[in-house]
Amino acid sequence: MATVFSQYAWLVPAFPLAAFAILTALGRSLSRTGAWIATVASLASFVYSVMIAAERLAKNAEDYIGGFAWLRAGSVNLTAGYEVTNLTALMLVVVTLVALLVNLYSLGYMKDDERISTFFSYVALFTASMLGLVLADNLMILYVCWELVGVCSFLLIGFWYRKPEARAAAKKAFIVTRIGDLGLLIAILLLFWYMPGHALDFASLHNVFYAQSGIISTSITTLIALLIFLGAVGKSGQFPLHVWLPDAMEGPTPISALIHAATMVAAGVFLVVRTFDIFAAAPAALDTVAVVGAFTAIFAATIGLAQNDIKRILAYSTVSQLGYMMLAVGAGSTTSAMFHLFTHAFFKALLFLGAGSVIHAVHTQDIREMGGLGSRMKITAWTFGIGALALSGIPPFSGFWSKDAVLTAALDDNPWLFAVGVVAAFLTALYMARLFFLVFAGKPRGDAGAHARAKESPAVMTAPLIVLAALAVVAGFVQTPFSGWLGSWLTGGAEEEHASGLAIVASVAASLLGLYLGWLIYSKGAVRRDAVSSRFPRLVRLAERKYYIDELYDALFVKSLRGLGKALSAFDDVVVDGAVRLAGRSALALGRLNTRLQNGQIQTYGLAALVAAVVLVLAIAGRRFW
Amino acid sequence: MLENVPVLSLIVWIPLLGALVTLLLPKHHSRLLRGFALLFTVIPLLLAVWLYASYEPVAGGGAFAEHGTWLSVPLNTEAGLQGTGVNVTSYRLVFDYRLGVDGLSLPLVLLTGVVAAMSVLASVHIRKRWKTYFSLFLLLETGMYGVFLARDLTLFFIFFELTLIPMFFLIGIWGYFGREKAANRFLLYNGLGSAIMLLAFLILIATLGFTVTETAGGAAISFGGDYETLLANLADPNAAAHASGAMFLSENLKWAAFVLLLIAFGIKLPIFPLHTWMLKVHAEAPPSVVMIHSGILLKMGVYGLVRFAAFLFPAQLASWATVIAILGVVNILYGAVLACVQKEFKLVLAYSSVSHMGIVLLGIASLNETGFEGAIYQAVSHGLISALMFLIVGSLYERTGTTKIDELGGLAKVVPFTAGILLTAGLASLGLPGLSGFVGEFLSLLGLFGSLKWLTAIGALGVLLAAVYVLRSVLAITYGPLPERFAGMKDARFVEALPMVVLTALIVLLGIYPSLLTDLMQHGFDGLLKELQTRVGG
Repeated sequence: MATVFSQYAWLVPAFPLAAFAILTALGRSLSRTGAWIATVASLASFVYSVMIAAERLAKNAEDYIGGFAWLRAGSVNLTAGYEVTNLTALMLVVVTLVALLVNLYSLGYMKDDERISTFFSYVALFTASMLGLVLADNLMILYVCWELVGVCSFLLIGFWYRKPEARAAAKKAFIVTRIGDLGLLIAILLLFWYMPGHALDFASLHNVFYAQSGIISTSITTLIALLIFLGAVGKSGQFPLHVWLPDAMEGPTPISALIHAATMVAAGVFLVVRTFDIFAAAPAALDTVAVVGAFTAIFAATIGLAQNDIKRILAYSTVSQLGYMMLAVGAGSTTSAMFHLFTHAFFKALLFLGAGSVIHAVHTQDIREMGGLGSRMKITAWTFGIGALALSGIPPFSGFWSKDAVLTAALDDNPWLFAVGVVAAFLTALYMARLFFLVFAGKPRGDAGAHARAKESPAVMTAPLIVLAALAVVAGFVQTPFSGWLGSWLTGGAEEEHASGLAIVASVAASLLGLYLGWLIYSKGAVRRDAVSSRFPRLVRLAERKYYIDELYDALFVKSLRGLGKALSAFDDVVVDGAVRLAGRSALALGRLNTRLQNGQIQTYGLAALVAAVVLVLAIAGRRFW
Repeated sequence: MLENVPVLSLIVWIPLLGALVTLLLPKHHSRLLRGFALLFTVIPLLLAVWLYASYEPVAGGGAFAEHGTWLSVPLNTEAGLQGTGVNVTSYRLVFDYRLGVDGLSLPLVLLTGVVAAMSVLASVHIRKRWKTYFSLFLLLETGMYGVFLARDLTLFFIFFELTLIPMFFLIGIWGYFGREKAANRFLLYNGLGSAIMLLAFLILIATLGFTVTETAGGAAISFGGDYETLLANLADPNAAAHASGAMFLSENLKWAAFVLLLIAFGIKLPIFPLHTWMLKVHAEAPPSVVMIHSGILLKMGVYGLVRFAAFLFPAQLASWATVIAILGVVNILYGAVLACVQKEFKLVLAYSSVSHMGIVLLGIASLNETGFEGAIYQAVSHGLISALMFLIVGSLYERTGTTKIDELGGLAKVVPFTAGILLTAGLASLGLPGLSGFVGEFLSLLGLFGSLKWLTAIGALGVLLAAVYVLRSVLAITYGPLPERFAGMKDARFVEALPMVVLTALIVLLGIYPSLLTDLMQHGFDGLLKELQTRVGG
C-alpha cells in the first residue's frame, strides 16, 4: 500500500529543527514564549509520528525511502535520506512522546531559569537530531545525527555552566563518547571501501550481509561489527565507556530523563539493531555484544546499590538496563531488545521525572537526607512506585514482559547469559526497593525545615508523570508470550513466540526476592543496614567508589596525555625551535665575522681575496669532474 | 554582464588601487580609512562571488583566463644547428602575464575574499597608524589573490613575495610585545621557503618551460613559466626531442624539483618540524592579521603543494604518498598533543592549525578525487574557522587584556553572544558534523583510507584529541565561575558581531550543504587524476 504520511516523514524532525532555528535567532528575549514554541513543535512532531505509525498499523505498509542529495565528492555520493519502516515508526513515536512530555515537564521545572529559552532550544535541536538518527536511511546520515545528539547532550549536561562539576561532566561525556564515535567512523570508512558501489545505505548493507554473500570476508565483517559496537558502547554507556553517564547527571533532571534514559543512550542499542545483519554475519562480534551487555548489566547494578545520589542510582540503573538490551541483541533477539528499549523508555523517563519532582521539592539529591516524602507528594510517590515496579520486572507491569522476553532470548542462547540476567534482575529489584523506601517511606531525615516545606509539584510536572505511569503499566502488553504482536510487526514475519516457564518463574522470583529483601532492610528494619557493609567494608567501598575506574582512567589516559604533552612541548621548544635559533645565530655569527673582516685593513682584504680566489679555482677545476 | 571584462585582473588589482587611494587619504580618520579599505575589499569579494555564480565546473575556467606577454628577453646563446638536426634560430626568455581560475583555485579565491573582508571589519582593534596599516593590508590582498590566480611561475613567485613584505610589517608594527622577533622569524623562514621555491621554479622553467615555434629558417625556442606549457611538455612523450638539445627534465631533476617544492610549501603549510615560525606569528601578530595569516596565507602552502608538487609530479607524489601521509599523521598528532597542554589560547589555536593542516596532507596523499577535494575543503573550512577564532580572540583581548586560559573563565555569563560563537567555532574545529570542519576531515580520511588504512586510522585519533584540546580551552574560557574583575564586561558590538555572524553562517552552510563547494571542485582535479591513472596505473 502506498503510504502518504511516510513520504513526508522528514517533517517530524523539521518541526523541532525549526523551533531551534527560531529560538536561536531570536535569542533570550523570547524567554517563556520560546519554551512554548518548542513545546508546540514537539507536539506537532508527536502528532505526525502517531499519524505515520497509525498509517503503518492500518495498512500493511511497505517501507518508504526518500531523501535529498547531500554530498558529492569523487566517489562519494551521499544523500540525506530517510527511511520509514515499522521499526523507525515505533522509535519515532517513543522519541516524540517522551520529548513532548519532557518539554511539558520542563515548563514547570525550568520555570525560574533565566536561560529557559536556551534550554528549550537545545532540547529542540536534540529532538530533531534524535529523530534524524532514527529516520536515517544510511550510516553516514546516522553518524551525522549521532554526533549531533552527542553535542546536544554535551550542551545540556553543561547547561548550568557556572558549576565546575557541570563543566567537567559535559567535557567528559563528549570526549568519552567520542572514543566510541571514532570506532563508528572507522567502521564507516571500512564499509565505504569494502561495500560494492561504496554504498552506505541500510538496504544495501542488508543485501550484502543478510545473504552472507561472502563479498566481504568474515574477518573484515567482524572488525566492522566490533567497531560499530564500539560506537554503541560509547553512546549507550556500556563497560568500559560507561564512566560518562553517571556524571552526566549534572544536567537538569528533565534532560536526564529524555537524553540519558529514554532516547539517546538507547541509540547505541538501536544502532546495533539497525545494522544487525552485519553482526549476524560475524558470530564473534555478536558474542562480544552479549558478553559486554551481560557484564555491564550486573556490574552497573552492583554500583547502583552503593550510591546515595538519587539520580546516580537511576543512572547506573540505566547503564545496567542498557546492558540488558545489549545482552538481548547479542543473544540474537533484536525484537526483545527493541521491546525492552520501548518499555524502558517510559518507565525510566518516569523514574527520572519523579526524581526531578522530589529534587524540586526538597532541594537535595542525597537519599540519606530524604524519607517520608510519600505522604507529602502522593502523585510523585505513586507514579514513582509504579515505575519502580515496572523496572523491577513485577507482573503485570511493562518491565516484566520485556525483561522476560530478554531472559527467554538469553536462555535460548546460553544459560550463563540467562543466569547473569536473573542475578541482575535481583539486584535491580533490590536497589529500587532501597531507593523507593529510603525516599518515600519512613520518617524525614536531614533538614527538617526543607521537608516541612516539601509539597507536590505543579500539574504541568505531575501530568507527564501520570501519562508515563499509565504507559509503564500497559506498554508491555504489545508483546507477551501469548501474543507476539510487536515482534511480528517489527520483523514483518510471524515470529515464533514461545513462553519459557523457567524464564518467567526465575525472573519473577528474583525480582520479588530483591524487593522483599529491600523492604526488610530499608523499610521494616528487620536486617541492619550496615549488615553487609560492616562485614565486607572493602567490597562495599569498592562499589561505592565505582571500582575506581575513574581513577584508573585518569592515571592511564589523562595523566599520560598530559605528560606526553609536556614532554613534547619541551621538545618543541628546545630541539625543534632550538635548531632554528641555532641556525639563526650561526647566520648572525657569520655576519659578525664578515663585519670584523671589513676593518679597513688592506691585509685582511687581501687575505679574503686570496681565500676566495682559491675557492673559485677549486670550484672551476672541480666542475670538470662533476 | 561582465563578459568582456577581465574579472580576474580586477580581482587582483583593485586592492592595489585601494592601497594607492588609501595613501591619499588623511591619516587620522580611522573610520574613513577603514571604510575605504572595506570598499576595496568588498568589490573583489563581489567579483569572486560573481565568478562563483558563473563558473561551470564542466567547462572549467577557460573563459576567464587572461594572457598577455609582459617581457621578452633574447637569450645570448649561440643559435645554430643542434644535435637533433633542427636549426634553432633564436632563444628567448619570456615573462608572461597569465591569470586563470579552476576548481582548485576558485574555492580559495572565495575564501580570500571573505576572510579579508571580515579582517577589515576586525581591524577596529587596530589603534595606531591606520593609513599605513590599511595600505599594507590591501597590498597583501593583491598578493594573495595573485597567488591563487597566477598561471605563470614568475608571476606566481612575484605575488608570493608580495605577501611576505606587507605581512612582515603588519606583524612587526601592530603586533604584541614580541612582535619584532616574530616578524623576523616570519621573514627568515618564509624567505628561505621562497629561495627554495625559486630554485625549483628555475629548474622548471629551464627544463620544461620551453615553447618551440617553427619558422622558415628553423625553430625559435622561448623559455617561460607558463603553467599550461609545463603541463603540456610533461605530458608530451616527445617533448625531450622537441627540447632540441635544451636540458630536459631528467628523473633525478624531477625528484629534486618535487622535494624542493615540498619543502618550500611545507614551510608555509607548515609541516613538522618547520612549524615553529608560525607559532610566534599566531601569538604575536594582531588578531586581525592572524585571521589573514591562519585563514589564507597557510592555505597558499596547500595550494602550492597541490598546484605544483602534485599536478606537475604525479609519479613522484604517488611513490611518496606514504611519506606524505606519515608527515600528515605526525602533524595531526604532534599538533594535537601539544595543543592539549598549552596555557595560551592563541597557541592552542596555532597548534590546532598544525594538526588541521596534517589532515590536508592526508587528503593529498590519498591520490584520489575524494581525498583531493577533502584537502581543499579542509583548507577552506579551516580558513573560515581560524579566522572566526581569531576574530573572537581579538574581541576578548580588547575586554580582558589577556588570552591566557587560566586567567579567563565564566565569560558565557557576561558575553553570552561571543561565548556562543566561540563554542560554535570550537565545535566546528573539532569536526562536528553539520559544521564545515567535519566535511574536509571526513573526505580526506575517506580518501586516504582506500590505500593506507592503518595510517588513516592512526590519523583519525586526531579527531579525538581535537575534542580534548578544544573543549579544554573553550570551556575553560566560557564556562565555570566568572572572575570578579570581568563582571562589567560588555558583549560584542555590532561591528564585531557582524563578521562573527557571517563566518559562523558560512561554517554552518558548508557543513549542512557541502555540495556547494564540492560541486565547484568537481572537475578541478581531472588532469591530475588522469595522469595518476596513466602513469601510476590507478
